[in-house]
Amino acid sequence: MSIKVPKDREVPFGAITPAPVKQQDLFITSNWRIVRPVIDHEKCTRCLTCYASCPDSCWSFNPKEEQMEWNWKFCKGCQICIHECPADALSPVPELDFEDGVVRLEKPF
Amino acid sequence: MAKVTEITVWTRGVVMDKEARDVANAFAQAAKAQGKFIQAFDNYEDLPDRVLVTTRKYARISDEEIAMKYEYANHHPDVVVIVEPTIVKGINVLKGMPEGGLLIINTNRPIDYMLKFIPNADVLGAIATVDADGISGVRTVDFSGSEGGVDAAGVGTGISAPILGAMARVTGMVKKESLAKIVKDVASLEKGYNEVKLQKFRKGRSEYFWGS
Repeated sequence: MSIKVPKDREVPFGAITPAPVKQQDLFITSNWRIVRPVIDHEKCTRCLTCYASCPDSCWSFNPKEEQMEWNWKFCKGCQICIHECPADALSPVPELDFEDGVVRLEKPF
Repeated sequence: MAKVTEITVWTRGVVMDKEARDVANAFAQAAKAQGKFIQAFDNYEDLPDRVLVTTRKYARISDEEIAMKYEYANHHPDVVVIVEPTIVKGINVLKGMPEGGLLIINTNRPIDYMLKFIPNADVLGAIATVDADGISGVRTVDFSGSEGGVDAAGVGTGISAPILGAMARVTGMVKKESLAKIVKDVASLEKGYNEVKLQKFRKGRSEYFWGS
């Protein structure tokens, strides 16, 4: 995606990002995560406590499949949802157990 | 100019910041005690004061005086140390490494499994793993940040001591005895020295020799 900026108003990279967008793909922060919350859809009661407690809005309800969806790109593994879940449907699993979810950033931030 | 060995330590902000700083500083100090010329410094480019961000610490060791003074990053690290193993999924840790370099990871997983997450592993001369979390049993000693933090816990406690032991054995640049004078947790240093696992790769031409 590119944004047309007038020549006299050019700014450094990252100073202008597309908005409004639902998620900002220029700032993926999933490499902060050590553990990943894994949901058990059988136990989940769809109470939306994880949705309300997540600081990064990584939980959302998918009305088509009628289950919660997790956004791996911005979850930082803070485990608040795991502690708040009243149905014990979430469990922490080390991120290295999964082979997906790899982002290879050149810069640390 | 003599060869300058560049060491980069990858860690996570705040929770494992002090441990990685101890790894870089204590290793360089031990080399200094053996008459080498050293530099050791904290990150400059990264944002270290956020919990769990990936951040770096650096050390340089040479037989002659190091001419690089105003460069606050190791662009061609010969040795890369990873204090928290999940970092291999998020960062290209071997960026800039010359052929035949060394990678040391703090993990209890098999070496072959860790190599799956390293796409450019063919530059490696050797890879070593040490289960520092299992040896020391404590991951966060204290939260004293790099800037203005009062270090009451002492240098070389927690997971930094076994990692330093593993580095001494695999790199062969410093002696275990000179590290033991600096590091507080000498028992863990000894365990890391003995329990490190090393896998070497055949290289056609390499100036390095890893492993005792």
